[in-house]
Amino acid sequence: MAHKVQPAIISCGFCEHASKRSDVNMAELVNEAVEDCIKKANIDWKDIDAVINGNMPAFEGANMPELWMGDHMAAKNKPMLRVTTGGTTGGSVTIAGYYSVASGLYDMVLAIGFEQQSCGDTTVGLASVGLGEFTIFSDLGYTIERMRSNMGGGAAIGIASYQAMNYMRRSRATEEDLARVVVQNRRNAAKNWWTHLKMPSITIEDVLDTPYISYPLRFGMVCPASDGACAMLITTEEKAKQIADIPVYINGVASYSNESAILGIDCAGAGQVDPCEQLGAMKSAEVAYGQAGISFPNKEIDYAEVYSPFPNQELMWVERVGLFEENKAPEAYQNGVTALNGELPVNCSGGVNSTNAIGASAMERPAEAALQIMGKAGNQVPKTVHTALGHGWGGSINLITHVVMSDEPQRKWR
Amino acid sequence: MEKVGIVGYYQLKPELDIMMSPYEAIFTAVRGALDSAGLKRKDITTVVTCTNDYYDGKTISNCFKVEAGGAYMKDETKVELDGAHAAAYGLYRILSGNHKLAMIYGFSTPSCYFYEPVRILELDPTFDRTMSVINPYTTGGMQMRAYMKAFGVNEEDIAKVAVQNYKNCSKNSLALPEAKKPDISVQDVLDSEILSSPLRRLMYPIPCDGATAMILAPERQSLKITDNPVWITGMGQCQETYYLGDRDLSISVSMEKAAEKAYKRAGINDPKSEIDVAEIFGHTSCEELILAEAAHLSEKGKGAILLDSGPALNPSGGAMSAFTPCASGLTRLVEAAKQLRGEADGYQISGAKKAIASGQVGFCAQNNIVFVLEGGG
Amino acid sequence: MPLPAYIKKDYKRTRTLHGNWYLMNYKYKFNLSRTKVFLKGLKEGHILGLKCRSCNTVSFPPRLICGRCLVMPDQWVRLPETGTIATGSASYDTNDKNRERPLPVIAVRQDGADTVWLHNMPKDIDFHSIYIGMPVKAVWAKERTGSWFDIDHYDAIEDPAIELNKKEQEK
Ligand SMILES: [Zn+2]
Repeated sequence: MAHKVQPAIISCGFCEHASKRSDVNMAELVNEAVEDCIKKANIDWKDIDAVINGNMPAFEGANMPELWMGDHMAAKNKPMLRVTTGGTTGGSVTIAGYYSVASGLYDMVLAIGFEQQSCGDTTVGLASVGLGEFTIFSDLGYTIERMRSNMGGGAAIGIASYQAMNYMRRSRATEEDLARVVVQNRRNAAKNWWTHLKMPSITIEDVLDTPYISYPLRFGMVCPASDGACAMLITTEEKAKQIADIPVYINGVASYSNESAILGIDCAGAGQVDPCEQLGAMKSAEVAYGQAGISFPNKEIDYAEVYSPFPNQELMWVERVGLFEENKAPEAYQNGVTALNGELPVNCSGGVNSTNAIGASAMERPAEAALQIMGKAGNQVPKTVHTALGHGWGGSINLITHVVMSDEPQRKWR
Repeated sequence: MEKVGIVGYYQLKPELDIMMSPYEAIFTAVRGALDSAGLKRKDITTVVTCTNDYYDGKTISNCFKVEAGGAYMKDETKVELDGAHAAAYGLYRILSGNHKLAMIYGFSTPSCYFYEPVRILELDPTFDRTMSVINPYTTGGMQMRAYMKAFGVNEEDIAKVAVQNYKNCSKNSLALPEAKKPDISVQDVLDSEILSSPLRRLMYPIPCDGATAMILAPERQSLKITDNPVWITGMGQCQETYYLGDRDLSISVSMEKAAEKAYKRAGINDPKSEIDVAEIFGHTSCEELILAEAAHLSEKGKGAILLDSGPALNPSGGAMSAFTPCASGLTRLVEAAKQLRGEADGYQISGAKKAIASGQVGFCAQNNIVFVLEGGG
Repeated sequence: MPLPAYIKKDYKRTRTLHGNWYLMNYKYKFNLSRTKVFLKGLKEGHILGLKCRSCNTVSFPPRLICGRCLVMPDQWVRLPETGTIATGSASYDTNDKNRERPLPVIAVRQDGADTVWLHNMPKDIDFHSIYIGMPVKAVWAKERTGSWFDIDHYDAIEDPAIELNKKEQEK
């Protein structure tokens, strides 16, 4: 076997996120992040060998926008791949970047995730996840009233509220616990330059004062819809050492898929009986930790970014990816373990709860985790971060991405 | 580049209006590919799917296809370009050493939507889409005009390519039944309905429903699975600039760069003599010639030579035989692999040793990908 | 000899439906071969699940493909009318301005099945009395037409676990 390549992140770029970036079009939005990324790495755009991009095409009404945006992505006359997997798009793009470098075919890969939700209708985009299924339902005698009530309030929040019910029953978490997560995220976001919802003085009472959208989720707990983009440069170990002060090595990646929750194929039932069980996330975590040589994630991981548009998910994911014992996350949040100066800081960037440019969100998680290792994050944790985790979920809570990174390369057993 | 083996494949028989649900079609293709290699679902380690949200009419088109694609509890991802791009991503995954068996499938049903109008959504939304001048037909016409003007080629030469493709289709049992025209003449093509001058109806393939699946494995694994693997020895990809005005439509810069990279990786110095079979995915007959020339199979403007001598151009019938969005490039790859394995029943090129297969997306083949394949166990 | 009618009518296996998305007209195809049997069963008052012979997973409503084994299951099994609530939520009618009466939406796992489907409970049930693991029983519609809602809703039944819990707590 030929020698295997160790991919490393050398730079991450962001554009400013807002609910409506009407000052730029989609291509310019992406270009802001790309330029930020390339400038920080101090390289020329011609050094880039390949570009990988992704977004959720349904939200802007543009199919394969990288065809006309290619020149804004520094991709002229270069290999260009498009990877889109719904909510996990950003994570999948990062993983595609990892594999492009690990394959030995490219040395320097630019990965881009972006979304300009103000261009289109996010509700239409999300509702059409199951549009085919809904059409079929109406053929099977599902009345429109029943469908409206049962599919409740758009795909993501509908599923999230079922998931919240299950999680709260399992762990005895209260609505106050959910609000506490929101407060932590929004306050963190206020210290990070590119985030969307900055609320430095929000309190638990403020969150609990807002009305329900879908029990137990309240208006104040739900993520915003943002415009934004994120870019990341992934390169080989040798090049990374030359370019970056602290290269961040990607040691484990996994994206295992489960059966869909709530809705199934051709209107049949869902295979995930309990949507907070998350076999896919557990399997992804196991595989990624295995690749990275991590046996005790709760002790070895110093920083985590999990994809949590809704607060109950943040509590759930940190347990499922092995950072806390089952049902112990609410307690940890209460004791400040996950705060900026805690033992295991989580989502110090503000998380998806404060900024959600869907195609970019799952990439911002590994990107922020990498920046924490480099010591260049907008809301840098005081302790030194050696090993970090970036996680993402998408689809019908059935697609997961998991990226484990560290400041030292992992010599793989193969 | 290390060799990667193609160990199994399956093509669903293309139809204009297939009587299968998407899940059933994908299941048939994936199951068929596994059976052709004698493998089980548990052997798969990664699944790379190729579907398109706009071609499926739903957001996150891979979300519900997990079970049908055999991806339950497998490392799964989706490439939203051509099937050949998905194969490239599968190749990266195999080459990285993390995966031992990659299942790749491409699927679409154009009978469920109008292919040409949906492609308008690929355009720049500010100028090109609002002008509603650019569509697959007009770009095909512009490209053909540019090619004819630049090299002094006449319509008959391009019609001959279409005729050969239709004749090849009639020998291919997996070609679209509507494309099987053994008795077609050049005049028939030139007399067909005009889509966008000088592009004629019969120079443009019919979008049809289908699904194609392919299995990739690393070298050592491939030899364990089959005695007769086909090796991918080279791969090249390139996307050129978007605006048609910035590009010379009579040539294809991106294909040239992609092919050169693929030949370099495969160690091919003289493609004209070394390549036996070329499966080129062109949206029109003219584009097929442009891409074949850009792949250095013939001199610029002399692509029509390939009909008589040199590498065999599209013995399967090319895009005319099965033009399924999201799967065409993958089908070309499978057809090339069939030739090298000697499984192309009825249209076998005798003694085929090396082949190339291409896939593309975008107007006038903006993003091209080329694979170099080698036979031999 | 003329072909039997059911072979000729292969198109009955797949139904094509029209839908709209982003100003584009789409059609959606879906396979009827399993759904038809399921709906016919409902019309006759049977609850039918589909069992995969390879892994013994029972799906209700029937799924075309078993993702675990990558086969098409084809063994029908009768299921009881009882089930348990796997998860639930409340849906507020947007026309109901006071938002007082949420419609309980539940995902029910029919006893003997391994998948869940979304259904309703009657409006007069207090949503907060619903819990995960609560046993429910299917209530048939007055007139069965062979549609999804031949089971009109699910109603709560007595939960023996509650009594057991009480006894344990008393100890
Ligand atoms: Zn099974």
